[in-house]
Amino acid sequence: HLTVILTASDIISTVEFNHTGELLATGDKGGRVVIFQREQESKNQPHRRGEYNVYSTFQSHEPEFDYLKSLEIEEKINKIRWLPQQNAAYFLLSTNDKTVKLWKVSERDKRPEGYNLKDEDGRLRDPSMITMLRVPVLRPMDLMVEATPRRVFANAHTYHINSISVNSDYETYMSADDLRINLWNFEITNQSFNIVDIKPANMEELTEVITAAEFHPHHCNTFVYSSSKGTIRLCDMRASALCDRHSKFFEEPEDPSNRSFFSEIISSISDVKFSHSGRYIMTRDYLTVKVWDLNMENRPIETYQVHDYLRSKLCSLYENDCIFDKFECVWNGSDSVIMTGSYNNFFRMFDRNTKRDVTLEASRENSKPRAILKPRKVCVGGKRRKDEISVDSLDFSKKILHTAWHPSENIIAVAATNNLYIFQDKVN
Amino acid sequence: MLAKGVKRPRGEMEGGDPEPRDPSAAPASSLFNISMVKLHQSLRHVEPNLRHLVLVANTLRRMQDQMQREAGGPMAPDSPEAPSVGDDLLLSAMDSSISTILEDLGQVEVLSPARPEEEQPLAGASGARQEPARTSAPCLGPLELLSSASYLLEDSLEDIFEDIDTSMYDCDLWSPTSLSGFKAFSGAEDSDSKALAGAEDRLDMSDLDYLMDVLVGGHPPGAHRGRSIS
Repeated sequence: HLTVILTASDIISTVEFNHTGELLATGDKGGRVVIFQREQESKNQPHRRGEYNVYSTFQSHEPEFDYLKSLEIEEKINKIRWLPQQNAAYFLLSTNDKTVKLWKVSERDKRPEGYNLKDEDGRLRDPSMITMLRVPVLRPMDLMVEATPRRVFANAHTYHINSISVNSDYETYMSADDLRINLWNFEITNQSFNIVDIKPANMEELTEVITAAEFHPHHCNTFVYSSSKGTIRLCDMRASALCDRHSKFFEEPEDPSNRSFFSEIISSISDVKFSHSGRYIMTRDYLTVKVWDLNMENRPIETYQVHDYLRSKLCSLYENDCIFDKFECVWNGSDSVIMTGSYNNFFRMFDRNTKRDVTLEASRENSKPRAILKPRKVCVGGKRRKDEISVDSLDFSKKILHTAWHPSENIIAVAATNNLYIFQDKVN
Repeated sequence: MLAKGVKRPRGEMEGGDPEPRDPSAAPASSLFNISMVKLHQSLRHVEPNLRHLVLVANTLRRMQDQMQREAGGPMAPDSPEAPSVGDDLLLSAMDSSISTILEDLGQVEVLSPARPEEEQPLAGASGARQEPARTSAPCLGPLELLSSASYLLEDSLEDIFEDIDTSMYDCDLWSPTSLSGFKAFSGAEDSDSKALAGAEDRLDMSDLDYLMDVLVGGHPPGAHRGRSIS
């Protein structure tokens, strides 16, 4: 594997490839977005083919102060989602807890020169000195990539936004917070449609929140949202304007032998993703990744153990709040492999066909460029082998919550706190 | 930190304990205290992390149900729970924690006037509705706080201000999206166009103000006041 390690100045909070995989965007806790672009193939430097370099950096969100409630709204970028490319410019949505923004990223490599009324520095020329009329011409300049905010979708969420998802019609998108999901049209910023509302009439009856939501990749009327109780609801917007009644309800019955005080917390779904085919959904809860067939609601078709050795540590993980960590999960381009993060900078991949799985580590020591990643193993009890690491030595402050997979190639991006790791499967 | 519990074989449990103990779990009482602390900390934020709050509250309810069941039902021979005296202490500790939270609530209520037709007022204001809830699940007390937290009263806040005319502040010229058209370019030559556009804005706004004043009758026509808008 080829490795590129890039260090950000702040904790990375989201990672996302665009639809072609040419661009990779990261958002961080400081409200910044950094976009990487893949180098074009070059015959002169074949070994550098396909490396990602910084393309654009901009400040997406600033900290805000809500004077009415006397609280500061964090600038941390919770999610970035790309729009499919429709012209020369790139468009992406980025969101913090309260506000979604549409950004346009475009290139400029020419500039007009030879204005009549001002000189090259922009200073106004003395009109009495102008004796000739000239036509400005476009001259090449150094490539400049600029990001401009095109739309700001604000004031529609009372609670914290956890998800955004672009619809396959490319005209609308949804934003979901703890209790509500809103549908937006890209052209309209001063209103949105509320399509899901699970806020109870009396807040003391609140027992469940929305944790993630996503549109179906092909059917623009279908979306899913997951809850803190481990359930997934599939909704059809053609059925009614307010989709409080689901079309399908996915829930696995609780395993009585595994019940504990923490059963509900570890069943809380932290991420839900449709497969590229649209036939399956994948959910991540604290200890497992599950694959569901849309046609079967009563249980998942596949369950993968991410770090089952933590099951006996739930009490201490509850005390230090790690049990509330929200891990994401991703499909590869062909839906044959799924990937998710864990602690100690470990991340796991599961091959759905061969049923083989591997644990890899994103760390500087183990990731020299062009070195092959060595599989890691956690030792649960008994005798620890040489390369294994024991459960009690795991570093729970090093968590991989955000990962991304290139839409068609074996290139993955893994965010480990401040560092972004890009691994490429180099086939000679 | 982790107390080692003894894992009871399934056959030993009377009637099949629906919630077998986590083998390495701390005693339920310390877990309960930890949960109450978490709940307190969560509620201290103006905008609590709702997911965290709900999960902790649900876990507390689960523990409470378990403790009440064990306090009422028969004891397993080697149950880690103390006899009923300890349980009474726990339940009274719970009650006092909840009353502390409700005391803190008193300050929140000042910010958010009670709207009985829309939201659940604090305990004490309408005791009758809450009595049955109290006896069966005292842990609901902390969640009553949510109904009075100012940020969740978004509907009633509108009502407070409904007699104030906000049409002036709905002016599109002040919204960020309408101004974004002026920010299309960056670079030296465009700062001029931006300045020009800004000046046009200011002109329009002062014209509007002047017109409003004339219509309202505050100022005689003909007197054009200079306005500076930052």
